Amino acid sequence: MSEKKDLVTREETMPERSRELSIVAPLVDIYENDEEILLHADMPGVKKEEITVNIDNGRLEITGLKKINKEGVAAWEEFGDAEYRRVFSVPQTIDAGKVKAELSDGVLKLHLPKAAAARPRKIEIRTA
Amino acid sequence: MWTRINDIDRMFGAMNLLRSRMNRLFTDFDRSYGDDYGWKVISGGPKTNMYDLGEKLQIVAEVPGVAKEDLSVRIQGNYLELSGARKSDAPEGYRAHRVERGTTTFTRSFTLPTDVDAEKVAAELKDGILTMDLPKVEAAKPKQITIR
Repeated sequence: MSEKKDLVTREETMPERSRELSIVAPLVDIYENDEEILLHADMPGVKKEEITVNIDNGRLEITGLKKINKEGVAAWEEFGDAEYRRVFSVPQTIDAGKVKAELSDGVLKLHLPKAAAARPRKIEIRTA
Repeated sequence: MWTRINDIDRMFGAMNLLRSRMNRLFTDFDRSYGDDYGWKVISGGPKTNMYDLGEKLQIVAEVPGVAKEDLSVRIQGNYLELSGARKSDAPEGYRAHRVERGTTTFTRSFTLPTDVDAEKVAAELKDGILTMDLPKVEAAKPKQITIR
């Protein structure tokens, strides 16, 4: 047992601000046809400007900030401000330049077109 | 001391993250807990908030993907009923890889703390959030009393 005591108090570094918003994974539907992959995500309360869609190296990240006007006294609250965030792996064959996104009634609809090379091709069979 | 609290807070943050990761694995796992969004949360109804603004009450409900035409609000005295249907927006000619957003019909009814003036109720649907402003009846409004 040592009697040694630290003469210098341990320096408490300021840790990064902890996140105040809870992160919610939005519910999604994913569809695919020959031309594109289509993703629908429920993001109620998110304005168009607050949505970001990033595609990088086969990784698709959707984030959105939900802000709710709070006035008066809350009698009950079942939802609050939140950050929607969800990450997907997408095939490299997605044509990132042609991705389209629309937002209607709190649902984000993301069209991810496949690159021409990745679309299924019909092979014609010739008779010899 | 604050730094310690932050540590604890971060630990809970990490647990929340784990929970949301788990939620992705098991769609129904732990849905009813916390802020996680899910249609199954309150027996099929949308989540709501209610605020009292003195002159009026305000009810806010999360209804993503529900069209204005598919929502209906009925008010009688201090009874409010919100019902609606969420229709499938599945596109034609696509294969589905993942379907988490269900289609549902719901009815949720509320007993408001005071009677409201049904004639003056205003409801607005924006970005999947329905906001209803419910002015209180004259008798229920707060009154300023002058002291003589």
